Amino acid sequence: MTEEGAPGAGTTTEENPVLYVARPMATAARQFVKSLVRPSTIVYPYERLEDPRFRTEVAVASGRPIGVGQVWDNYRGVHALNIATCISCNLCAFSCPDLCIEMVTVPGPDPKKPKKCPQIDYGKCSYCGFCSDACPEGCLTMTTRYELSTPRRAEMVYSPQRLFDVFRSKLPMNPIRLERPENEDRILLDPPLCIGCNACARDCPTQCITMVDVPKTDPKPGQKPAKRIWKEPVVNDSDCVRCGTCISVCPKECLFWGGPP
Amino acid sequence: MSSATLYSVSYDLSHTLLFALGGLIGGPLGRLLENGDLVTGIGVLVFAALLLAASMLNTIVLIWYERKLLGRFMDRRGAMHVGYAGLLQNFADGLKLFRKHTTRPREADEVGFYFGPTAYLVTSLMIFGILPISTGWNSGPMPLSLLLALVIFSFAPLFIFVSAWSSNNKYSLMGGLRSAAQMIAYEVPLLLAVVAVVVVAGSFSLTTIVYEQQNYWFWGPLIVALIVFVAAMLAEMERIPFDLPEAEAELVEGWNTEYGGMLFAFFMLADYLRALVGSILIVLLFLGGWTLPTWLPGSLTAWPLAGIFWFMVKTYLVFGLFVWIRASLPRVRTDQLLRVGWNRMIPLALLSVFLAAALVTVRCVPVFGCVPSPGA
Repeated sequence: MTEEGAPGAGTTTEENPVLYVARPMATAARQFVKSLVRPSTIVYPYERLEDPRFRTEVAVASGRPIGVGQVWDNYRGVHALNIATCISCNLCAFSCPDLCIEMVTVPGPDPKKPKKCPQIDYGKCSYCGFCSDACPEGCLTMTTRYELSTPRRAEMVYSPQRLFDVFRSKLPMNPIRLERPENEDRILLDPPLCIGCNACARDCPTQCITMVDVPKTDPKPGQKPAKRIWKEPVVNDSDCVRCGTCISVCPKECLFWGGPP
Repeated sequence: MSSATLYSVSYDLSHTLLFALGGLIGGPLGRLLENGDLVTGIGVLVFAALLLAASMLNTIVLIWYERKLLGRFMDRRGAMHVGYAGLLQNFADGLKLFRKHTTRPREADEVGFYFGPTAYLVTSLMIFGILPISTGWNSGPMPLSLLLALVIFSFAPLFIFVSAWSSNNKYSLMGGLRSAAQMIAYEVPLLLAVVAVVVVAGSFSLTTIVYEQQNYWFWGPLIVALIVFVAAMLAEMERIPFDLPEAEAELVEGWNTEYGGMLFAFFMLADYLRALVGSILIVLLFLGGWTLPTWLPGSLTAWPLAGIFWFMVKTYLVFGLFVWIRASLPRVRTDQLLRVGWNRMIPLALLSVFLAAALVTVRCVPVFGCVPSPGA
């Protein structure tokens, strides 16, 4: 702070006490004048970055403005669930790393067969988006809505109906990707173990498993072929979403994941 | 008995009671009010209450002003939500602090712990009774008002040290020690810079010093004294870059680490009161107080309260300078601070006294004009 005292012989800021004070103060004054008209911050609840008038002002490093259709669409906010197209395949809950998705029963079109749809606990959710990536039907996506604060913890849990309300509010959503990889695993059958119980076909969410009549082959030598018609599941690979429900319900563990054909 | 009678009975009763009680209070009061001393005393009390309200209000607005200025220096806006542009934010903060429970560490000394902040605030408030703000807002002729103000101003290290010591906390103690060392080191150049002003003005009275600046303000001829005064005042106010006593990075909150609630608010208020006093002193000593330069049109000061208005404008601008310094400079080290204080500031202050003496001898400066003869 010796502005006048002992003017140093050196020219660097460290050695010259006048410059030591004057340079930062000049920098601060420049900043002050620059932000006097409009600081870089926005007054958040009253102004929002997604407002159209900020799309041109707030530009990202690449020079492209932040706005709908640009960076903003990839924002991973609260989920939107289309209950109508949900097939209850459980893949979202299976892929969730935070275990925040629980499949709960919702009234479906068939009262005898209620649907199970994801219920998301946003107190645990890390917004990774794996669930929407895993969703085979594209019914669970993420929107740009980010205001989720609530005074009660129970309100952090979004029931399928609330997620459906989000879906119906037509917010900008993440793009839905439905392409499936070429070399995906398939459901394979170990035929000698199958007892033809129909459990897999009954529980398959996409009804891609049909039970076909198979004659029981390889009778023991000297025995007559069996009169009874045996049934075996046949999986339609193009419709299968690889949820693994059939494998988990099979009582004889005769279904298993297999490599690409 | 009809209802009307009932009503009149109760009315009569209450009226009689009110009359008796009113006479009981009003009679002696009226007789006392014929006493001129009492009227003067009540006037002084009213003025003191007004002064307290004005200084507190100014302090809280000053905090708001600093927050807004600092925000712009940092490319943001500062408080925005409570009141217009966050004007009521500090009132809300004060209310919150006022409602909070005050906790005292078990090992802390009870007397010192409560006495420190209270005395710190009270002494800071006392200075406002001395400082003249305008021709109207003036506590009367006081020949040594500048000395009195500085004496009260320099009480602070004692109370800071008392509260730091009685907190029984090592951070508090370190902060208190630093505060005491810093304030004592910078008291000397501060007073020497004041001596330069006093030499030129020829009086210790703040009112006289202001009126001595009719021809030109003292900041120009006494620029060395002003620089020393501003630097020393920064150290006395414990503001960045001289806020070592409450260096957050090293000592949690310095000497007020253990304080919370209203006692912390006392410290906060007193800090900003002292910042206000420092700004006011700079305005009074160097910037012509409530007067304006004579080359400006006289209509600027012709309206009532113009003196207070221009005084406050100057004070807030000077405080803006402090905020500017706070926004620009980093905190210095303790040894740097003390070395600058003892080795650089005191010679500079002595130089300023010498320059002031030369100015009085020469009487006339080319740019600024002539000094009135001392004591005139």
